[in-house]
Amino acid sequence: MLKMHDVSKIYRTELIETYALRRFSLEVAAGEFVAITGPSGSGKTTFLNVAGLLEEFDSGSYQLEGHDVRGLSDDARSRLRNERIGFIFQSFNLIPDLDVYDNVEVPLRYRRLSGADRRERIGSALELVGLASRARHMPAQLSGGQQQRVAIARAIAGDPAFLLADEPTGNLDSLMSRQVMDLLEQINEMGTTILLVTHDPELARRAQRNVHLVDGQISDFRAYEPRAATPGAAGVIA
Amino acid sequence: MFGYYLRLALKSFGRNPGISVLMVLAIAFGIAVCVMTLTVYHAMSGNPIWWKNERLYAVTMDNWDPNHALNPRNNLPPPEMTYKDTHFLYGSNIPLRKVVMYSTEGVISGAGSGPPTQVATRVTSADFFAMFEVPFLYGNGWSRTADQPAQPVVVLSRKENDKLFGGANSVGRTLRWNDHDFRIIGVLGDWFPRPRYYDLNGGNFQEPDAAYIPYGWGAELELQNKEENDCWRPEKLDNFRDYLASDCVWQQLWVELPDAASRERFRSFMDGYWAEQRRAGRFPRPQNNRLSNVAQWLRDNEVVDNDNRVLVGLAFAFLALCLINTVGLLLAKFLNGAAVSGIRRALGASRRQIFAQVLIEVGVLAAAGALLGLALAALGLAAVHHMYAAAHLGQRGGYQELMHFDAVGVIWAVALALAATLAAGFYPAWRIGRLAPAVYLKSQ
Amino acid sequence: MTLNVRPILSALLRNRTGAVLVAIQVAIALAVLVNAAYIIVQRFEKIHRPTGIDESNIFVVESAGFTARFHQGASVREDLAYLRGLPGVIAATASNAIPLSGGGNNDSLVTRPEATRTGYINDMEIDEQGLDTLGLKLIAGRNFRHEEIQPPLTKSDISRFVPEIIVSRALGQHLFPNESPLGKQVFDAQNHTATIVGVVDPVIGNFPDSPHADWVFFLPRMPDEFIVVRYLVRTTPGERDAVMRTAETHLAQSNPDRVINYVRPLSYFKNLSYLGDSSMEIYLLTVTGLVIAITCLGIFALATFNVSTRTRQIGTRRAVGARRGDIVSYFLIENALITSAGILLGCTLALAAGYWLSVHYALPRLDLYYLTGGVLTLWGIGQLAAWQPARRAAAVPPSVATRTV
Repeated sequence: MLKMHDVSKIYRTELIETYALRRFSLEVAAGEFVAITGPSGSGKTTFLNVAGLLEEFDSGSYQLEGHDVRGLSDDARSRLRNERIGFIFQSFNLIPDLDVYDNVEVPLRYRRLSGADRRERIGSALELVGLASRARHMPAQLSGGQQQRVAIARAIAGDPAFLLADEPTGNLDSLMSRQVMDLLEQINEMGTTILLVTHDPELARRAQRNVHLVDGQISDFRAYEPRAATPGAAGVIA
Repeated sequence: MFGYYLRLALKSFGRNPGISVLMVLAIAFGIAVCVMTLTVYHAMSGNPIWWKNERLYAVTMDNWDPNHALNPRNNLPPPEMTYKDTHFLYGSNIPLRKVVMYSTEGVISGAGSGPPTQVATRVTSADFFAMFEVPFLYGNGWSRTADQPAQPVVVLSRKENDKLFGGANSVGRTLRWNDHDFRIIGVLGDWFPRPRYYDLNGGNFQEPDAAYIPYGWGAELELQNKEENDCWRPEKLDNFRDYLASDCVWQQLWVELPDAASRERFRSFMDGYWAEQRRAGRFPRPQNNRLSNVAQWLRDNEVVDNDNRVLVGLAFAFLALCLINTVGLLLAKFLNGAAVSGIRRALGASRRQIFAQVLIEVGVLAAAGALLGLALAALGLAAVHHMYAAAHLGQRGGYQELMHFDAVGVIWAVALALAATLAAGFYPAWRIGRLAPAVYLKSQ
Repeated sequence: MTLNVRPILSALLRNRTGAVLVAIQVAIALAVLVNAAYIIVQRFEKIHRPTGIDESNIFVVESAGFTARFHQGASVREDLAYLRGLPGVIAATASNAIPLSGGGNNDSLVTRPEATRTGYINDMEIDEQGLDTLGLKLIAGRNFRHEEIQPPLTKSDISRFVPEIIVSRALGQHLFPNESPLGKQVFDAQNHTATIVGVVDPVIGNFPDSPHADWVFFLPRMPDEFIVVRYLVRTTPGERDAVMRTAETHLAQSNPDRVINYVRPLSYFKNLSYLGDSSMEIYLLTVTGLVIAITCLGIFALATFNVSTRTRQIGTRRAVGARRGDIVSYFLIENALITSAGILLGCTLALAAGYWLSVHYALPRLDLYYLTGGVLTLWGIGQLAAWQPARRAAAVPPSVATRTV
């Protein structure tokens, strides 16, 4: 699924070089739910940007679903992002002048799907996150938890192979956090690989595997027992 | 995708209506000022008989004061010639067609019901109409035999015929010109070359004369040029005969030389005449015989005035200012919205797609600005036209006629507007496309 | 308050594009402003220079004889007698040309018969009421006397001259530098002589566009019989239009051997002559106004953008103790730095444009007063345009620094 070997990413200024990732290696199998943890500045976000093809890396190799992504053109990388990867951010990053429906539509537009196809996917994605009735609301009219659920709908509407979530509950209270995590687990159970970046060990514990980063390197692997299904989660969402 | 981008652009204007309006206004004013000046410049710099540019030549020779050139600044010979020089050169059979002429004034009476009126009248040889391709509505011009001895025939402009005869076919009727009987043999069609290249005296954009009479009448009725009449030599000038024999310049000579060979032959004919006259004591200045084609003639006579050139420069400086301003506003606007572009990039938009989206947004602004600019330019031109027409007390003819769009002008203006604004939008679009998306995703 | 320029400058250098764009706008604006203002002032001075002529109370009648019976001398005498008898008329004269109209005669005039002749000097035929009609002031010598007025030139004495002339002060000075021209002899193109009997000042002749519009001399003669006659008529203030109407009705019918081409106020001809100048003036004023507006807008937009992208930073500065005044001055200094850079570039541009205009379009070289004025103006509008955004920046509360989203 995702295979990084000895990946390094260096940020250069005139005075200093900073290794954001230093000979970083990681393999994630299809269907896994992996949490990336670590203190601030440990390279979590850089890993996410590199994994999500938002940034290039300086050395090492990175294979996504068996394809080497190093040196791909911007068009090819954009296309992979569009079709194989879904993003979920701490600050939701909904486009404020588009309503819920149009926000979910954005990646489908770039995939040039037909109108009918788009409608169907948006409908089922919003159905899944329980916001079908809010399709014509503007983001500002929604609560934080609802906004994040819209963002999740947007991330999965294109049916990606894996989701990259960057502190998805960082701006949410505990009830809403739980709803969002329940939703992510549900999506994972439906077969989507999830990489969750967080500094919250509580959340990390809900993943199948933990990767702990310090100074751009992995300091610890920890695999958890497959978690028990959380009854009632679906009910809360609905 | 185009429709989607267009919808996004409209949404974006809705988000910052103020800045969008400012950009449209900046573009519109830049375009309006440019289009206005270029319209006037285009009209001024036109060559109304470009298809004969390499065939028609104004003939000039420098017969001026040995101590003092007539045009010390550009060393051009006087724009008119003496009677005796045109008389001799007109005798040549080398040109396919040839015209000797000047303008005078005469009172037309005894025709129609109106009171006698003085009208601008051209005293010209027969080839005038064919050589300058003047259209006829009724009848036609006269033949060379009518020039000398002068036959009492006259050609009227369409406007004059409308005034005298209500537009009826007046060919064959008689009128009195300066109290002499003349028979009307032709009425011109619509003809208003701008600039009036064949005779620039008395204004570059004057309307053509109202009446045309054979050249021989000039000497017969002792008609002078009403516009230009320059003398330099202290010489006896007691009567018209003295005047004809003098070194005063007041007549124009145009020749049609269809090919290089005829041009060469006519030039050597002129040079031979010059040398012979110099031996006889005339032409004290260095030889400066000129055959000027129409474009050269218009340049030499500075038909496009300096003011207009300065204004064209100013207009482009202003357009540049407006466009740089727009680039600044676009950058500010799009950089403010960079986070949204970052999100779109994360969701799979390629640089090219972001670039296209921004460029379409700019294109919509450009189109709005260009349209508004054209409307403003049309308004501005109408205002200037009005001002000029008021100063002329409602007379037609003259500068106000320059204040009109022509079809070619409009196409150029639209092209200029779109090209300029898209060029201005290119840089911001490129900058936004290059932004690293990751920076804008982490926090807002 | 600390005027610490260095950190502002380094912040500017890190985020260049917007600042560079505004500096270029300021530069273009300065170049346009300075040169346009210079041309506007020149045209204004040209249009409004004293002509010595009572422009608003004079009208012109053009009469053209066209039959063999027509007798110029008799017609002029009859018409003048009629015009001078009209109530409201102060004086009237017959002339070959119309003052300030751009059309008329030139002659060459020299002080020795063998002298090299340089250029043309405007002459005008008038009679003993001519100076009064125009409203010109004699500053030396005397007016023409009635018996000095020569009969019209005829087809058999085209080059006859006159024994006496009146010259403008400027022409007198040109012919006889540092001497009084009064009583001196001059020679016309055919070396006929005349004596200068009077000097008038000020006066602009027939050719306002000429570089020597004020070189004029007057001939005591009735207009040639082979050209049209122009009667110049001066009325008491307010009477002009009424007298014009009366005169037109009468003259149009008084003599069947001539036509009246028009009866028009002198201001018509003056306006027509200056049409190019006045439209240039209006055009340049409009464009200059737009240039200033657009530049203001550019400066304002950049300042606003800078404030809005630095809200956090401003909050932080406030949190660590910056006063409102410090924030305002930060943005004003930033603006001043950008404007100054633009002005520096603009001075070069303005001088280059001025030089180009002087070489190619015979405009006089740019006066440095204008450059100084332009620099101060742009500096001023720069600060004005940045004032509002700077005030907005100062209103950012310090708590912004601690907010997360």
